Amino acid sequence: MTGEKLIQDMESRIQLMKKTAEELKILGENIPAVERNAARILASIKMLEINISHYLQI
Amino acid sequence: MTDKQKYWNPILEKLPFEKLQELQLKKFKNIFQWAYENSKFHRDLYNNAGITPKDIHSLDHISRIPKVEKSMMRDIQSKEPFPYGDALCVPVEEVTEFRQTSGTTGQPIYQPDTWQDWEWWSESWAYILWAQGYRPKDRVFIPFGYNIFVAFWAGHYAAEKIGCEVVPGGVLDTKARILKIKELNATALMGTPTYMLSMAETARDQLHIDPSKLGISKITCAGEPGASIPSTKKRIENAWGAKVYDHAGATEIGAWSFECTEQPGGMHVNDALFLIEIEDIETGKIINEPGKKGKMIITALDRIAQPCIRFDSKDIIEWAEDPCPCGRTFRLIKGGVVGRSDDITKVKGVLLAPSAVEEVVRGIKGLGDEYEFIIDKKGDTEILILKVELSPEAAEKKQNIENQLADQLRLKTNLRYNIEFHKYGTLPRYEVKAKRFKDLRKKKPN
Repeated sequence: MTGEKLIQDMESRIQLMKKTAEELKILGENIPAVERNAARILASIKMLEINISHYLQI
Repeated sequence: MTDKQKYWNPILEKLPFEKLQELQLKKFKNIFQWAYENSKFHRDLYNNAGITPKDIHSLDHISRIPKVEKSMMRDIQSKEPFPYGDALCVPVEEVTEFRQTSGTTGQPIYQPDTWQDWEWWSESWAYILWAQGYRPKDRVFIPFGYNIFVAFWAGHYAAEKIGCEVVPGGVLDTKARILKIKELNATALMGTPTYMLSMAETARDQLHIDPSKLGISKITCAGEPGASIPSTKKRIENAWGAKVYDHAGATEIGAWSFECTEQPGGMHVNDALFLIEIEDIETGKIINEPGKKGKMIITALDRIAQPCIRFDSKDIIEWAEDPCPCGRTFRLIKGGVVGRSDDITKVKGVLLAPSAVEEVVRGIKGLGDEYEFIIDKKGDTEILILKVELSPEAAEKKQNIENQLADQLRLKTNLRYNIEFHKYGTLPRYEVKAKRFKDLRKKKPN
């Protein structure tokens, strides 16, 4: 897999994870163990965006 | 080590500089917009200056934006919401981390961070540690008591993120820390340059352990400029038999700079996470060319709770001439942080940076690691007092060393000093930020 294709593939998975974690956070709004862990996962996903997604926006 | 493993993020660390600048502009516009929309302090500051996010179209436009100084933060934090004031851009309940500045230059500043900000802190440190050769096989010993200050917290979290094993050595005293390093075969250390020298001295003098035989391969220094002062770096490297790497960061900013394993005589700035401008102290113009020192104005491009936008850091830096052989396109600052604009002082008409005195003292064999430098005034005469210790094995060479010290000081700083020799082990030893430079003139009227 070439560099740009690899980065695009990583990006699509990052966005999929983000969407899933956001949905999970909403579904778990009455279950702190789900809602707060999903919030933490979203913070980690943000680091993936800083490392990968932001590059694709330039 | 394969090339794939050399960089924490090869995509950003090897990005052509023009692309890095595009990234910086895009991210700057985002954080500027964020602060404008979410903080009354920022909105008022920019409105009063007649500038809003829609006015920023290129990096050149950024220098029109007002700077933020630490003294402004003190006023901000006397307002609501308690205790952070109106520079806060998120609801207080989203703040998960509290830190504060040391208060060296006045009332401490509180620093709120969200969990995302804290992830970002450790991410910025992960760039540092990976560039300094930290890998999952490392056992990192941190001989530091974490507390309300940010020092080494993020280093700890970043080492974990990388996959290292982290040993927090905070509650132990110096001797117990050394014994624990030996017991566990630790491979890396983090600490202030002062404490790394002091620990080595304790190992030798009190435990009769040669620190260079303990198996430490790398030391990451922070908190003081020492690891970028060649003679201090050499002393620490010789004492521990390890590579010593510098890094620079601050509570209000983040971990913005690091030395890589090439030790190129300077530090990389993390151009992917920060925008660094160097401002000419006299003209206020932005310096883009190498070889001219100025004051660092810095923006953290991804920090959201209490944004750091065009913060006047007071750090004195200069761009290096040549790129680093490591292959990173992140720019280099020559010699690291060479001083602070509020430390550089005029004595007898000569501009003096205290780090120049340290470079001389630590470069002379036969002098101990500790020293104290005082500027005082008697009547109208300014006097410079330098207190040093003679190493026990150099007692016979005192006169020779004194001559050498006076000559080197005159050569490097153009000034004469009253040199005082103190008994070995009697000058103060420090664990955190050393206070070796005292300017007593400021307390005395003319």
